[in-house]
Amino acid sequence: MKAHRANAEPRWVRLLLTGIALGFLGLFLGLPLIAVFIEALAAGVPAYLAALADSEARHAIMLTLLIALIVLPFNILFGVAAAWAIARFEFRGKSLLVTLIDLPFAVSPVVAGMLFILLFGARGLFGPWLSDHDFRIIFAVPGMVLATMFITFPFVARELIPLMQSQGKDEEEAAVSLGASGWQMFWRVTLPNIKWGLLYGVILANARAMGEFGAVSVVSGHIRGETNTLPLHVEILYNEYNAVGAFAAASVLALLALVTLVAKSIVEWRMQKETEMLEASLPPEKTE
Amino acid sequence: MSIEIKNVVKRFGSFVALDDISLDIPTGELVALLGPSGCGKTTLLRIIAGMESADAGEVSFSGQEATHLHARDRNVGFVFQHYALFRHMTVFENVAFGLRVKAKKQRPAEAEIRKRVMDLLGLVQLDWLADRYPSQLSGGQRQRIALARALAVEPKVLLLDEPFGALDTKVRKELRRWLRRLHDEMHISSVFVTHDQEEALEVADRVVVMNHGRIEQIGSPDEVYSNPASPFVYQFLGNVNVFHNRLHGEWADVGSGAEADGKALSFVRPHDIDIEHAPVAGGLEAQVQDVHAIGPVVRVELLHGSELVEVELTRERADVLTLSNGQRVWLKPRQVKVFAAESPLEEAGSGI
Repeated sequence: MKAHRANAEPRWVRLLLTGIALGFLGLFLGLPLIAVFIEALAAGVPAYLAALADSEARHAIMLTLLIALIVLPFNILFGVAAAWAIARFEFRGKSLLVTLIDLPFAVSPVVAGMLFILLFGARGLFGPWLSDHDFRIIFAVPGMVLATMFITFPFVARELIPLMQSQGKDEEEAAVSLGASGWQMFWRVTLPNIKWGLLYGVILANARAMGEFGAVSVVSGHIRGETNTLPLHVEILYNEYNAVGAFAAASVLALLALVTLVAKSIVEWRMQKETEMLEASLPPEKTE
Repeated sequence: MSIEIKNVVKRFGSFVALDDISLDIPTGELVALLGPSGCGKTTLLRIIAGMESADAGEVSFSGQEATHLHARDRNVGFVFQHYALFRHMTVFENVAFGLRVKAKKQRPAEAEIRKRVMDLLGLVQLDWLADRYPSQLSGGQRQRIALARALAVEPKVLLLDEPFGALDTKVRKELRRWLRRLHDEMHISSVFVTHDQEEALEVADRVVVMNHGRIEQIGSPDEVYSNPASPFVYQFLGNVNVFHNRLHGEWADVGSGAEADGKALSFVRPHDIDIEHAPVAGGLEAQVQDVHAIGPVVRVELLHGSELVEVELTRERADVLTLSNGQRVWLKPRQVKVFAAESPLEEAGSGI
């Protein structure tokens, strides 16, 4: 006999809903992705490779990677520290800190970029001091790093806070009562327990760091071969009606996105496997 | 190693968790901290372990001040209610953890660690599980591994926070007896927290009954059960019938002497009351309401006026009496304890 569940929808409703979801995805995500590659390869593979081999394009790729490489360690450091503080301790201003961590999600990236101009620009708060000491932050790489850091810093912390809260501090207390120092506790107990969540947050932060446009655009100054990241490079080429160059650069970003998706799925799968393993039903007590 | 606790106070915001607690735990004793949830027993245990700091007061081990000693330097073994095993390590690595984190100079060689861990796993009879992960073990097995892990660093004090609270009844009883044996073999001082009076009375050398952040009574299991120091202890340790002297003058006045005019409560355990068919001197008239046979005892509920009285009889006694619902009988207490309505008073002695 067919089992009927109270919440089962008729077959046609399920098909319709699935169809709508898939159609939407195809139209708004699949088609554009395909279009990027078609446009990039419109003038043939040699033109595509030439566009990527162009020195400005290569510089943009390197700069994008450089910024991500600088930003991610700070993200990890801040994310773990903030998540630890929030999940493990009670202190005044804790809820304020939780709210502040979400600020970069709430603020428009352009506003974030403007913020750094106001602080470090020529007529900004620290501008005169910086120009006296010959430091360049705005319209230079340091400013772009700062803007990217601002935009991406919630990812790791937000991934870790619920994870660490649900795991509790028993294991860490057990480690300390067994004589472990703070570092030993962190490396041997805390980190192994949060590693998949941490990796997940880093992957998301990395995707955002490489793809960020608004905030970086405001502080970069668009100096070719110097302060152009991949997203900015795409815009410049496109504005110059260099479709093949623009879409070739865009295809690199699209590939990065695909790699991110695959990495994310693998990590999610691992995380799920670990939780399943932890929640696996226990065998009955064996009597000897 | 003995533990001395002097005038310890702990507050969480406006909630007073521990209110001026002083307690001495001599070397080699197995002590139970017993009380309802929220009475401060776990907080006290965590202060002894150094996981929580006291707002005032002192903790010392064998006479040496330890109040400000870090948890990692106290050399105490701690066992958690939910085991707190390291989930990403095998059973073997869990037990070896305390040895592996030692400073290089004190760290035993790998072969020595191997031997010590396998010895400990043998002690808890789980050496065949060395390569498993905690998630692959049952609750009882996990708690035994947690104990082996705590013992690996050869602590002088073993602290257990509701160690059997998350286990089912049968496993709990087995582990209780096993803990008692282990404690006797290891020659250490152990303190365990529980809200289960049966557990405390069965396992411990001494029971510390706590309520609202204060110690109500300290004594051997027999003392706290048969000679409770306060109405709270009486009611927390097993069933009890409470009588007011105004209502049941003949029962509650006895022994209260000069206080006879004041308010007094008398406490009688259900198994300390006998039932007679004929009127007896000082007996309380009552009507049988219900009779249940529960295992080896027969529980009788009776009405005295409008109040319910519970009596426990042996099966033999119940067979002789052959009680039926609605029957009129007389109750005769074997042992009564009288307290003034607020503060505890002298004991009433036995019989009437």
